[in-house]
Amino acid sequence: MPDRSIISPYLLPDPSESAEEIAQRAATRIAYIKLAPEDKYVDVDRVLDVKGPFADEAFQGGNEAKQFLRNVCKVLVIGAGGLGCEILQNLALMGFNDIHVIDMDTIDISNLNRQFLFRESDVGKSKAVVAAAFIMNRVPGVKVTPYHGKIQDHDETYYSQFQLIVCGLDSIEARRWINATLVQMVDPEDADTVKPLIDGGTEGFKGQARVIIPTVTSCYECSIDMLTPPTTFPICTIANTPRLPEHCIEWASVLEWPKHFKDKKLDNDDPDHIEWLYQKALSRAQEFKIEGVTWSLTQGVVKNIIPAIASTNAIIAASCCNEAFKIATTSNPYLDNYMMYVGNDSLYTFTFEHEKRPECPVCGGETIEFEVKKDTKLERVVEMLTERQDMQIKKPSLSGPNGPLFFQAPKQLYEATKANLEKTVGEILQEGDQLNVTDRALPFTLTLRIKFVA
Amino acid sequence: MESVTVTEATTGIEPIPSYRPDEKTRRYDRQLRLWASAGQKSLEQARILLIGADATGCQALKNLVLPGISHFTVISDATVRPRDIATNFFLVPDSMGLSTAEETTRHLKELNPSVEGCSRQADPLQLLKDEPDFFLSFTMILSVNSPPELDLALSDLIWSASENESMTPDISLITVRNSGFVGKMRVQYRQHCIVDTHPDSTHTLRLDRPFQELKDFALGLDINDMDSMEHSHIPYVILLVRALERFKAAGNAEVTYDNMDAFKGTLLTERRALDEENFEEAESQAFRVASKTEIPENIKALFASSQCENVSSSSRNFWLLVHALKQYTSLPQSENLLPISASLPDMKASTTDYVHLQNLYKNKANGDLRAFKECVKTTLSSVGLDEDAIDDEEVVNFVKNCHSLHCIDGRSLRQEYETDVRKELIANELSNGMHMNYYLGFEACERFYTQNKRWPISEDDTTSIMEIIVPPLLSEVAGASDNELAESAVKEIIRGGFGCLPTTSAFIGGVVAQEAIKLITAQYVPLDNTCIIDLVKSTLEKFRL
Repeated sequence: MPDRSIISPYLLPDPSESAEEIAQRAATRIAYIKLAPEDKYVDVDRVLDVKGPFADEAFQGGNEAKQFLRNVCKVLVIGAGGLGCEILQNLALMGFNDIHVIDMDTIDISNLNRQFLFRESDVGKSKAVVAAAFIMNRVPGVKVTPYHGKIQDHDETYYSQFQLIVCGLDSIEARRWINATLVQMVDPEDADTVKPLIDGGTEGFKGQARVIIPTVTSCYECSIDMLTPPTTFPICTIANTPRLPEHCIEWASVLEWPKHFKDKKLDNDDPDHIEWLYQKALSRAQEFKIEGVTWSLTQGVVKNIIPAIASTNAIIAASCCNEAFKIATTSNPYLDNYMMYVGNDSLYTFTFEHEKRPECPVCGGETIEFEVKKDTKLERVVEMLTERQDMQIKKPSLSGPNGPLFFQAPKQLYEATKANLEKTVGEILQEGDQLNVTDRALPFTLTLRIKFVA
Repeated sequence: MESVTVTEATTGIEPIPSYRPDEKTRRYDRQLRLWASAGQKSLEQARILLIGADATGCQALKNLVLPGISHFTVISDATVRPRDIATNFFLVPDSMGLSTAEETTRHLKELNPSVEGCSRQADPLQLLKDEPDFFLSFTMILSVNSPPELDLALSDLIWSASENESMTPDISLITVRNSGFVGKMRVQYRQHCIVDTHPDSTHTLRLDRPFQELKDFALGLDINDMDSMEHSHIPYVILLVRALERFKAAGNAEVTYDNMDAFKGTLLTERRALDEENFEEAESQAFRVASKTEIPENIKALFASSQCENVSSSSRNFWLLVHALKQYTSLPQSENLLPISASLPDMKASTTDYVHLQNLYKNKANGDLRAFKECVKTTLSSVGLDEDAIDDEEVVNFVKNCHSLHCIDGRSLRQEYETDVRKELIANELSNGMHMNYYLGFEACERFYTQNKRWPISEDDTTSIMEIIVPPLLSEVAGASDNELAESAVKEIIRGGFGCLPTTSAFIGGVVAQEAIKLITAQYVPLDNTCIIDLVKSTLEKFRL
């Protein structure tokens, strides 16, 4: 085989290709790259050269827009999964030539029904790396820089190099983090510090796309209460009165696993672990005459699997990239600011402006008032916080004006503060005091103002 | 308990047990959770024909190859140009000058090794004249950005092929047109019958008229002897049945929304403590006692249709089963209701009570199923078919979903153009946002194409469309209304030059594939029948035309 780096670092060899064929392919590729843009980009150029009736007054179109799109604009794609693969394809075809992509996952066989940049031989490899290589091989002239790791590995300096960020994530925590980071980065004196964030999400035949202009439009945290709360089962049901197969599976994973394996962490991707849970759940179900425990359900409950199909990802990713293109070129007004797509009962979209929440802990200025009775125990306060739709936290730690009130971790702090759980709010806080809440899911400290009610 | 390793605790050394998913199930896991093995089976039998191998067509096909259709064929007589490579992800520089059909097929096949892909380098319009039967060998045809006359000819061919119920299966046709940021898509099928529509809820608790076994169990409970744990775990279904009995005994004929407060009062007389969550649940579910269980309107409409009345040996299974269902509802044991559903929602309850209650519903449902099966046999014999001509699995699935059956009578493209149905719709909708304007804008451009053998792309073309084509079109389709067609719609369409903007193609490709999957699996409710996609404003609207 010839040294491919000479031919093109982006050309992916096919195992069946001969050296001659690769060289031939490299030559046609170079010929294609050298073609004049007006011979290739006819269809994208149309909407940049011709001003539309809805385009912004300021739309200059033509070369300025093309220059920015193809030679200046640097886009970050977060997630190289179901949405990410589609987003990378669309951005590359639209003419974004400098793309970065972050993903911490490796490829699993269950990705192949929709993550179309991956093949069976890629299972186990980095999603970001394989996706980037595929795009560069397929779309000549595009540079995709992969990063196999977490978004939290990077700081503001890294994020400030991009003009646009497109997110195709399945994690709420990661979305909260990037959203808070981008809002924090805004310097009101410097428009360049405002990095539009375009976020997509899907579930089954439904999905949503939204445009967040940090500090200008509502942000991800503003709409946190729109999330459907995750299905949780009370521990007493799981332990004592199981009725559904899901209760038996939760019993196996939440109660039995730690009992049997002490400090060994449950690995949702290890089929042997799933097997153990399945057997345990099945025997419990049989004992209680509950039907419906299957391998598939066990896996679904334990991994919290969300059904996902190529077509829905295609719709949502296309919508995200359409907005990215409109923002980058001003060829048409961009989405202000939220579109829902529902395809399971005929089809419809709901497009609306989601409004900023004045008391949003990330982009709002106002403090959230926390109404509580004086005689409520701190233990109940912790519980009340986890029940709040607008907070979406699971294990909060609390501090007051005089320091820690209750900490879940580290162990010493937990031991030192747990006695407070039995105390009432009236004993440890005053009206108007600030209560600071931290949680693993929160990329910031949530500040609440105590208000006593009767 | 001593800590053990996972491998020791599991069946690591034994061969992988059969209930573990095989490779195919793992590959399709995320979609099987939506349409299950029945839907997958239909997909794996589907043969799709793509006419128009442009970016939009290939994106649509990609989303169908990935979930695993059986076969696709791409027809095109075009050869690959640089601008095609720039917009179509399934073409590469190497494809230049080669057959578009062959090159796109080659790259689409890579997406899923279990899908068969063929290409045919031919002019589809000519092929339609020479070999119409070729088109009838597919489950579904996607015609993407084809000349208007081809769409109409395809529509006519398929429509007439399924004229009689007994003739070849109803082939669906999806036609698409897009330009720049806007697009339209239309779905044609003669009739689409859905058993599994995936409704939000499948429970039929019948709390307004509890069946005998449920009543016996509820009233037979000695709740005074229960300890507080047992008492606070009586399922709300039982509490409501008991309350209804007491309420009636007190002289009330039935529970209505008007006497709901009094009924809740009756319910709460059995409550021992304020914190009994099962009573809280019962209160919040009390409305169910006031909602009358009856045959849903959509099912009554099916019963009234002539296809249900006049079943024959060539009727589709769906209609034979609907006919049997209607027979069933006239049996005394049915109490003029549909078979009950075996499913029970989760509720505060002890395991024993819940499982017992679940079994009551299940047994009742099984009894209903047996009676229904008799009706199926009678129906089948009455039309001269074998008693077991319909698969048991299909009968069971039908009964399970019999509360949310759905049937759509489609319309052909010719019907759209040649009947008056759309007149009123157009007149009403033209002044109501951009979508109808885009619809008519596309039609104006199609007329331009038919007259000039090319798509409009310039300002002059816009002017000639607005001045020459639009006025007669408007008077023809919008009748006497003084509506105007927004020039901005025509401008935005023509701005796109009837080319594929990759994001628009990907969006429409996704929508087309979703609808195709719903049609092929006969699950979920598909579009009926036209959808306008506006990616200027990121909205879409649907019309029945």
